Amino acid sequence: MKRTLDTGNAAITEGAIIAGCRLFAGYPITPATEIAENMSRRLPQVGGYYLQAEDELAALHICVGASLGGLKAMTATSGPGYILYADPYGWAIGSEIPVVIVNAQRVGPVSGITGAPGQGEFYLSRYPTQGGNFETIVLAPNSVQEAFTLTVEAFYLAERFRTPVTLLADQLVTDGWETLIIPETEEEIQAMGLKVIPRRINEGPEFYPATDEIDIPPVVLGHNTGAACSDWTPTAEGYDTEEVEWQHKHAYRLIYKIRNHKDLITRYESYFLEDDPEVILVSYGSPSRVVKSAVKAAREKGLKVGGLRLISLWPFPDEIFTKTAKYLSVELNYDGQLVREVQRAMPKGSEVHFMGKCGELPTVAELMELIEALIKGQPLKAKPWEMEAW
Amino acid sequence: MAKRTEVLVSGFGGQGVVRIGQALSLAAVYQGLYTTMLISHGTETRGGYVRSQVVMSEEPIDSPVVENPDYFCALSKAAYNRFKHLVSHGVIIYDPGYVEPDPNLNVKQIPLNARDLAEKELGRELFANAIVMGALSKLMSGLLDKDIVIKAMLERIPRFHEENKKAFELGYSLL
Repeated sequence: MKRTLDTGNAAITEGAIIAGCRLFAGYPITPATEIAENMSRRLPQVGGYYLQAEDELAALHICVGASLGGLKAMTATSGPGYILYADPYGWAIGSEIPVVIVNAQRVGPVSGITGAPGQGEFYLSRYPTQGGNFETIVLAPNSVQEAFTLTVEAFYLAERFRTPVTLLADQLVTDGWETLIIPETEEEIQAMGLKVIPRRINEGPEFYPATDEIDIPPVVLGHNTGAACSDWTPTAEGYDTEEVEWQHKHAYRLIYKIRNHKDLITRYESYFLEDDPEVILVSYGSPSRVVKSAVKAAREKGLKVGGLRLISLWPFPDEIFTKTAKYLSVELNYDGQLVREVQRAMPKGSEVHFMGKCGELPTVAELMELIEALIKGQPLKAKPWEMEAW
Repeated sequence: MAKRTEVLVSGFGGQGVVRIGQALSLAAVYQGLYTTMLISHGTETRGGYVRSQVVMSEEPIDSPVVENPDYFCALSKAAYNRFKHLVSHGVIIYDPGYVEPDPNLNVKQIPLNARDLAEKELGRELFANAIVMGALSKLMSGLLDKDIVIKAMLERIPRFHEENKKAFELGYSLL
């Protein structure tokens, strides 16, 4: 194993290389530029291809095209680029083309602030394109090491489910420096529990069956019946059709191949939940690091507090919200995105509260104050965005 | 050793605030510790505000946020004024070339004339950050071996290794 100090951007690059990614197309944007930079150096070393696209729309189109050509592909961006992926993202979902998409979230809306963390694309990653009739797979790392392992995982899931997988990171994960351990041999890759499957090729004749099956090899152009892989509704053979019957089968497959195999996707971390805590902090990504410190500090004070960290965001893991409690959602936005899903998933009799910040992490001291107020049943004091100047 | 050690380095762009953080964090990796380092900065290449937050621990690190630094290194007046209140038990190392210390602070404050010394002893202001690293290395010698910090520093600084080593030793000898 190689033990180094490196960034999440470097970790994602190495994860992609180990997962078998052999094409990267991207357009530079803070805080994901170093992924492109690292990929431009690493891919030629392993016989892969790096392309600097003219914009994000082209970048993802190139990746989807490469995947249709038989290569595992990845692109990386931040919020302002992620929104431009909408068109090719839909093509990849509809034509069931595996691809990995990294979004290093920064402060929004629009271009916002470049070098500071945000969490504004939680819902956008659920509906990254128009039309509905699909589920998405989204994973969210909270450390440099996890950025590495989840990148490998994202490729694995993309291949098995024949769909784009978004790695929803944030600026502190991608730009932050941390101890990073990288396996150097096949044995070490297995010892770390990393799963890699090579690109398989669908030989047809039917590659769009009306079932929820996974592990069907993806289409590689030139290797089957001549599927169009266009953005239109396909027949079982992959020809364009306007028949409602086929659209129904297509939509069923896109939704239920993911919904019915959610157990293969759902990942989370829970701690201090055994004694039915009064307060449970919910978070994902970099804020979850501070949340864990705060929960531990609260426990040291004898407070009954627990934590839930989401590692997979979509499909949303409703089933992990089993405890009736006061939930506190801690997010890097002021509008409260995760809070709505928690509200929907939590058992009756629970409450959900919200702590939002943007551009920087909350502190343990700030979270402790909120935890103590919730336990005492007091209303939460001034919101972080209520500035004196107002 | 305390389970968690926090270091905050802040100044303006071009002073080597990021390099100092990287060198300390890399030294922690070589020392067999867990470490995190967050960098915050403006969009400017030079002159904007920069902050490195370094945490080291024998255990995996949860929060990477420096809320109560054991060592706060202030390389600009703005940085000093912005973060001095975070220090409750740690020490503040400041460059008197930029910072006028607050006499009302009830913490240990150590002046380190890095900018002027770099210019006088090594001929260039550029080496001030290696002087700071030497001084921090001395203060943190119970945690990080001096040789390991030098090795890490040289890996993070591409050029002028002899001068940087000299600057490091100078900083080390001052505290």
